[in-house]
Formats: sequence, C-alpha cells, structure tokens
Amino acid sequence: MGGYGDVQLLNDDGSRLDGRKLDEMRPVTIEAGILPAAEGSAMVTHGLNVAVAAVYGPMEAHPRKIQRQDRAVIDVRYNMAPFSTSDRIRPGFNRRSREISKVTAEALESVVLVERYPRSKIRVEIEILAAEAGTRCVGITAASVALADAGIPMRDMIVGVASGKIEDTVVLDLDKAEDNYGQADLPVGILPNTGEIAFLQMDGDLSLEEYNLAMEYNFKAAKEIHEIMVDALRRRYDGGEA
Amino acid sequence: MVELVPTLLRQELARLAEDDSRLDGRGRWEGREFTLETNCLYNAEGSAKVVMGGTVVYAGVKFELRTPWPDRPTQGSLMCGAELRPVAGRKYEPGPPSPQSIELGRVVDRGIRESGCIDMESLCIVPGEKVWGVMIDIHVLSDRGNIFDACGLAAIAALRTAIVPAERFDVGDDHKLQINGTPIMASFTRVGGRFVLDASEEEELGGDERIHITLGDEGHLHSLQKGLRGVFTPAEFAEIFEVAQTRCVELRKIVAKEEEN
Repeated sequence: MGGYGDVQLLNDDGSRLDGRKLDEMRPVTIEAGILPAAEGSAMVTHGLNVAVAAVYGPMEAHPRKIQRQDRAVIDVRYNMAPFSTSDRIRPGFNRRSREISKVTAEALESVVLVERYPRSKIRVEIEILAAEAGTRCVGITAASVALADAGIPMRDMIVGVASGKIEDTVVLDLDKAEDNYGQADLPVGILPNTGEIAFLQMDGDLSLEEYNLAMEYNFKAAKEIHEIMVDALRRRYDGGEA
Repeated sequence: MVELVPTLLRQELARLAEDDSRLDGRGRWEGREFTLETNCLYNAEGSAKVVMGGTVVYAGVKFELRTPWPDRPTQGSLMCGAELRPVAGRKYEPGPPSPQSIELGRVVDRGIRESGCIDMESLCIVPGEKVWGVMIDIHVLSDRGNIFDACGLAAIAALRTAIVPAERFDVGDDHKLQINGTPIMASFTRVGGRFVLDASEEEELGGDERIHITLGDEGHLHSLQKGLRGVFTPAEFAEIFEVAQTRCVELRKIVAKEEEN
C-alpha cells in the first residue's frame, strides 16, 4: 500500500478520477433470496464488485471439535471465483481468504444470537464473482442480508464499508486504482442501529484526524447501504415495494 | 454427507412414472424454465449465468500466455474445470475437489474440446514459444438438480462471448475468440424406472443412473457419460438420443439469440 506515489488519483479540480466526490460511494444494489438451494441468500453489487452469500443451518456442528456447548459457531468461507480478478486465481483456499473468513466469522458471531443454537453450526458461504476493490466489505454486507433472509435472529445487520487515503486526501470507498495506488485502506463492519463496530482492519498510513474523518465517511455510507439492505429484505418478504 | 434416500420418495416417483407424470407436473421430456445471461461479470473475458429451475451456475473465461506443449508447438490449450463449492447446497462440503466436481468439469470439457469448436491453431502467437491458454471455470452456486446441463450451457455461452485480452498481454489487439460451433449437453436421469429429461433435485435424490449426451451443430455425438449406479438398454438410449437431438437444437437457438442481443 502507498508505494506508488507518482500515480495521479485526483483530478486537478480535486475530484476523483471516476468523477465521484470525496465522500461519495459507488452504486450499490442488493437482492435477497437469489439461490434456491440455500436457506438464505443475497447478491450484492457494489461498483463492479459482485458478491453472493448463502446461509445453511443451523445444523449439527461437525467435526465435533468445533462444537460449543453454549452457542452456535459460524463457519464462514470467503472465496474468490477463479474468474473474479484480472489474472485468474487458482481455485482453493489461500492465506488471504482464510484470514478474511476468520475475521468475518468473528464479526458475524458478535451479532447473531448464537446462544439460541447450542452445539450447532451456521454455514455462511461468501463467493466473490467479480472483484474491484473492497470485496471483504461487500461479502460482509451480503452475508448479513443472507442471514436475515434465512431468518436467523440477529442483534443488528453488519454493513461492510471502507474508506481510505489517496494523494494525502481521505476518500470514501476506494475503487481499484485508488486501492492499488493509494496510501491507506480502512475496511470496517458497522452495526447501523447501535453504532458499534464488529469488523475492523486497516493498512497503510493514517493520522488520527484522518482516521476520524475516514470513520465519519464509513458511518455515513453504512447508513445508506443499510437502507438498501432493508429494502432488499422488504421486497422479498412484503412482496412489493418498500 | 450421506443423503438418506427416503423410501417413500422412491415409491412416489415409481407411482408417478406409471401415470407418465412427474413430481412437478412436467412431461417426461420437458425441461424446466431457464434463463441465460451473458457478459455479466466484470474481469472475466467471457461470462455467462444460467438459471435452470432452482439451479444457478456461472461460467467465466480467462486467458493466459503459456509455452506450448513440445509435441504441439503451434497449438494453444483449453482447460475446463467445475467447482462444486459448499455454497451450492447443504450436501456440499469444503475440501479438495470431489470426484463429482472432477467428473462434471471433465464431461463439460470433453464436449467442448471434442466438438472442435475451438481451433487450437488459432491460439498460437509464436510457434514453439507463446500460445494462449483458455481457461473456463464453472461455479455452481445453487444445485437444485441437473447441474450438468446448466454447466455445459454456461460454459459454451461464456466461450462464445469471450474476448482475447491481447492488449493487456502486449501481443496485439483485443479480438473475439474464434468459435466454430455450439456443442450442447442434454442429460437424462432414470426416475421411477424410466428416463426423464432435466431431472430436479428430488428426482435425482430418488432416482438412479444418469446419461449425458453432448451434440454438435451437425447432430454428431461429441461426449457421452454414464454416471451413478444402474444399467440401460440400447433401446432406451435410442429413445433418449432422439430427445437429445431436439433439446440441443432448442438450446443452441437460445444461445444464438442471447449472442445477438
């Protein structure tokens, strides 16, 4: 991150290369219940990112050693399809996807009422079909809608959003070029109703002021995305307009 | 995970077979409703989404530069793989590729490869040094029966819309991948003692062996596969082959129509 200082990411008038304002996110669309085989599912497009999430369970937790006597475990698999990036990815797990799966699972375990399902497992499958920076956030958003679609009780849904820094300027929702050549990236998972944070990662270089501004942008975006999430669920369950 | 086959389901399927009807009311040779969408994924050089009943499948095409095999210095290569990831259903588990997903990928691969729809020589850039490798990855997102036909259709539809990304690799101008033909698969499953087209998940669960037939534009056979436990007679094959011919012509028309749009 931040190693390529000579790439221009802001126009001379201060706007971003794709014309967005500093605190403007890419367009987001969400559809719930798109995979008939799953108990709950969702597809989220965020800019050119496409993420699909499926939820199975609660079901018996196996292998036995992952069982918890007092609660359910959430088993998350974040996976990028081989054709989701510009160079093909070899199928299978790698260190990056393992780490993202782990912290995503821990984030979801903090909002799902896992105590209701002792000794069981809830499987959350996140498949990235097209990647354009920010896939872990899009995956979290998709997973939340899929869990809600599956009727799994939660304290709140988690909204995945990211802000970052390009050319010493804090901006909301980095696109691919901004992510590749920018100076920092701050992906978070926000609980819009309680204002809490369930997922946090960051890399790059941010001052405290920059961190605070980036968080401010993230909370603003989380609110907008949350409305789209709720709307998707309403469309699915009210059978009509929200 | 072991799927317990409910005896009642098998009995019900056998009863329905006697009346020549099916669980969802379809005719024996009637396919489920389906939609085909192409060029739907950013980053894939060709892509397609197929929804067949409750089965959802994506295929994406990628290219890479590679050195040709020593014995075929002027030919590019084709690879087709299918992933049956845990997202596809309750019964799928994480881990290395299962025998089912390997079979699936290879059956689709054979149909495309053997139809000769890709001229391997056209993938040559510098003989003996540099050729294109074409990779089709099929991603099953929801299995509600007959993933073979959905995968076969998604793969050929994605290939037919693929753009060779020559500019990105500095070897000329981007151009359409040259494809001469549209091999199509038709799959039959023995349900209640007789074969049906395009089996649903329940029919597969309470059914027996399956037969996959891939036909080229001229109606020639390019790939056959019998899967699962069971036997069939030549007369049964003759019957389903006739159905396969009609089915493949229909699906080929739909691929062509989607391409025009």
